[in-house]
Amino acid sequence: MKKLITLDINGERYELAVDPAESLLQILREKTGLIGTKRGCDSGGCGCCTVHVDGKAVYSCMVFAHSLQDRKVTTIEGLSQGGELDPLQTAFIEEGAVQCGYCTCGVIMTAKEFLATEKKPDEEQIRHAIAGNLCRCTGYTKIVEAIKVAAANR
Amino acid sequence: MSLTSVKEYFTPDGNEEVLELLKTYGDGALIVAGGSFVHGLDARNLLTGIEVLIDIQNLGLNQVRSDSAGLSIGAMVTFAELQQVKEIQNAAALGAVRDALNYPPVQIRNVATVGGNIAAACPYFDLPTAFMALGGVVSAQGPGGSREIGLEDFFAGLFENSLETSEFVTGLILPLLPARSSSAFLKLETNANDLAIINVAVRVTLDKSGLCQEARVVVGGGVGETPVRVDAAEALLQAEKLSDDLLQRAGEAVQSELQPMSDHRASAAYRSAVAKTLTERALQQAVARLK
Repeated sequence: MKKLITLDINGERYELAVDPAESLLQILREKTGLIGTKRGCDSGGCGCCTVHVDGKAVYSCMVFAHSLQDRKVTTIEGLSQGGELDPLQTAFIEEGAVQCGYCTCGVIMTAKEFLATEKKPDEEQIRHAIAGNLCRCTGYTKIVEAIKVAAANR
Repeated sequence: MSLTSVKEYFTPDGNEEVLELLKTYGDGALIVAGGSFVHGLDARNLLTGIEVLIDIQNLGLNQVRSDSAGLSIGAMVTFAELQQVKEIQNAAALGAVRDALNYPPVQIRNVATVGGNIAAACPYFDLPTAFMALGGVVSAQGPGGSREIGLEDFFAGLFENSLETSEFVTGLILPLLPARSSSAFLKLETNANDLAIINVAVRVTLDKSGLCQEARVVVGGGVGETPVRVDAAEALLQAEKLSDDLLQRAGEAVQSELQPMSDHRASAAYRSAVAKTLTERALQQAVARLK
């Protein structure tokens, strides 16, 4: 049976009718049209669906939507401020850290939380931080570079 | 997640309400903490017939308390929250927990809980191996009140815990260990999101003269239906000075005692060989933490 939940997504209040076992990923893509968050493995193994709940990176495929009453969700669409891209997004573009692009939104959301706590991360810390995000194109080198650049450019 | 049989998602506000729901739905109810292994249970066809999900986030089980009895960790405490606890960060005795928390990626650490990780009774998980080496005790709530169950009795089999369907996990107690106690944990995995091929947790307590007063050696990840204690290795260390040579022999004892399984992750022979090496290294690490 569907029940209503209320939550904040990217600063907007949403009231949604949600099935009992629906995931956050499902309601984002199917009910709000926020399709920047990608569905990869749908079982918490790839990181494509990473978003923030109250500022913390989570796999949205694993989080029950009903657990999020009154919580604050941020997706890749919520990173830009006043029409300006987030410095991480800019760094990914400029450093060529995007190939097919499917993992990109998830990696950026993971990096966003990481850079909020680590001011001057070294390469090893960056690689450890994004260990929960798979990329099958880049070999990670340019992703790591982009995160380094974003950290330095703040 | 498919979970098509689920008809209702409850977020009760108190223990009584949870117990009432468990009474009503019995085997058709699943307690949900962080929810990060629900898909894993579903993928193993362990959730057929689940009608309702009972989310226990509103019960106030997100506290960690440290007192003379030890560390009491609420069932809803996430891995990330546990990493922030001073004792976990500093105490040599809790080194195994500190080590184990460093393996999963941040997206899991932010969501997965201590209670869920124990209740799932998955022998490939990391924290249960570490908790067993530290003599962890589960707190559970049922219609007759609360009770405590040692982890070795709590783990009843593959994905099976020993609770009645009317009971649920409310927390874990890590008893305060004697001075000169130290522990360590090591895991072999193929990537950050992988379950353990092998994991090992060890704990040693030395007496005043530096001899080993008590030792625990626990191995998880495809070596049994639950993490297993290796008595032969523990006995070798008992009342001895922990020399490099002895630590190596403890590893060899693990290799000869274990009867791991072969599966798509690794062969039994490989698991045995890795368990030997990880045991020796974990013991070295634990001993080093006492210096």
